[in-house]
Amino acid sequence: MENKEKLLAGFRDHMGRHGHPPASVPALCETLGVAERDFYLEFGSLEALESSFWEDLVAKTVTAVEEGPEWQGFGARQRLLAFLFAFLEKSLDVRTVLLFRFRSVSPLCNPEWLRGMERRFKEWASDLVAHASATGEIADRGRLSGLYPAAFYLHLRAVIDFNVKDTSMRYERSDAFVEKSTHLAFDLLRTQAIDSAFDLLRFFAPWGHRAG
Amino acid sequence: MAAQSTIRSSRLGRMAAFAGTGARVGINYLKHYGQRSIGSGVDENDLHERNAEAVYKTFSELKGGPLKLAQMLSIDHNLLPAAYAGQFAKAQYSAPPLSYPLVARTFRREMGRGPLEVFETFCESAAHGASIGQVHKATRDGRDFAVKVQYPGVAESLRSDLRIVKPIALQVIGLRERDVENYFREVETRLLEETDYTLELERSMELSRASSHLEGVSFPRYFPEYSCRRILTMEWIDGLTLDRFAKGPADQAERDRVGQALWDFYEFQIHTLQLFHADPHPGNFLVSPPGLTVLDFGCTKKIETLFYRRHFRFLDERLLGDRDALEEALVDLGILLPGDADASRARIRDLCAASIAILARPFRDGFFDFSDPSFMRSIYDLGEQNRRDDSLRGLRGQRGSPDSIYVNRAYFGLYSLLSAIGARVKTRLPAWLAT
Repeated sequence: MENKEKLLAGFRDHMGRHGHPPASVPALCETLGVAERDFYLEFGSLEALESSFWEDLVAKTVTAVEEGPEWQGFGARQRLLAFLFAFLEKSLDVRTVLLFRFRSVSPLCNPEWLRGMERRFKEWASDLVAHASATGEIADRGRLSGLYPAAFYLHLRAVIDFNVKDTSMRYERSDAFVEKSTHLAFDLLRTQAIDSAFDLLRFFAPWGHRAG
Repeated sequence: MAAQSTIRSSRLGRMAAFAGTGARVGINYLKHYGQRSIGSGVDENDLHERNAEAVYKTFSELKGGPLKLAQMLSIDHNLLPAAYAGQFAKAQYSAPPLSYPLVARTFRREMGRGPLEVFETFCESAAHGASIGQVHKATRDGRDFAVKVQYPGVAESLRSDLRIVKPIALQVIGLRERDVENYFREVETRLLEETDYTLELERSMELSRASSHLEGVSFPRYFPEYSCRRILTMEWIDGLTLDRFAKGPADQAERDRVGQALWDFYEFQIHTLQLFHADPHPGNFLVSPPGLTVLDFGCTKKIETLFYRRHFRFLDERLLGDRDALEEALVDLGILLPGDADASRARIRDLCAASIAILARPFRDGFFDFSDPSFMRSIYDLGEQNRRDDSLRGLRGQRGSPDSIYVNRAYFGLYSLLSAIGARVKTRLPAWLAT
């Protein structure tokens, strides 16, 4: 096994066993029998390692869904649904770590160790938005459209948040949450609701008066 | 793909939906009384019509538990005015579809394989909906399958749904909670059973095997290897649902034949097996060239022989003429309670005698013409009359057996279906009563 995989697996095991990240790079390296030097060749720090761990989860999910036989025929809405369901499925492999890490983190705050996941997901979401604009599933709103990937990322975090608190059998309620919230998101993006909301905001904003 | 977005996810959301209905029903009442006070002459039926629509709208938005409850109530003529029944009966056909990724997800979660790993082709959009699931068409090895997939989390939210719907349903119908508690428990038990497709598979196979000798009735083949807790696979059958058959151009002979098959199927189940298909909804039957096909054994009911004998004793004509024997039979069934005053005792007895006289009519002459609309009309009138009867409303205590809900539901459903078809059928009393 390559050092990178070994370190990532070692991180997961440590989190599972102790419920917190390793105290230091030497502590992790010692248990794994990896030279410290080799650690730093792969990752700049422990945070960078964890960031890579979560990024990996998103990357694996993307690969899994895009290989599916139905993928090419899917519209953007179905692609997002497929991604989120596959993410929940994949996350079962690292559920213990997921519980330790996400139970105490609000979907709104963005710690260092989640940067990789955020970046990788937003990349994927940008492609999704492009696909959605092409199919006409969401309206192009000029500069505002640049915010869509961020909105979808927030949605992903909300799904994780729901999932770590879910106590239903086989997390069926998480599935229902994904289905319902995705439909709501796309229904909002397709209609004029968002434009109207921004219009109203603009009306109340202080600079609105100057225009009139 | 406007699937599912209106279904409430949280308990709070559901509460909000119900509160909304309460308000709408209230507003309809206000409108009604407002109009009445200025003398525009709307009648009460109009009001029921509008309330039924409001209540129905909420029920259909919620899916799952309340929807099944609505269907259950819709079929009990004693509990609901005719207008509600009409609205609720639509319930089965209005469920919005699940997205295909969720269907695929359910396959992976429950079977560990995607739909296209289990079947060669799998239609992404549902062929039709069912109240707690939807049906997809699939193929494999040259065979067509109907694959029923359940909505996720239905079983989970059912209990809390029922807790929320109960007080509202009671208020809308005008009943006291204490008096109908055991009825609600019975309904809850049946509803929870319906979410277990493993149980449904067993029952379907058991009932179709036991009934396989019946003429003109057939059953789809079931496939345990492609079924589990949330997915049920059976053979795909082409045909018309019973309501479409009824509205279609079929001639009298064909209507009689389908009606007879339906009658024989229920007679055999209730009087011989004492285990029966308790969901006589038109969507659960298909008419195809070989005859009648029975689908969906999600809701089945088993009755004990003691209850069975007590319940069907009322088919005995002699009993209706004998006051004391009739009262005794009503006490046995728990409809009359020991503490009842003489006046209400006589009142209930006479009402029951009137109901029984109508409901047992098809059994009287060995032949019955369901195409005569006056029969169903008289059943509805009876229900309406009982509902308006203030002396009945004032009665306290739990009455009757909860087992009777599904027996009544089966017979009321059977009568409605036969009337819709306009069938003339040969009937007979069960052997133990015929002598």
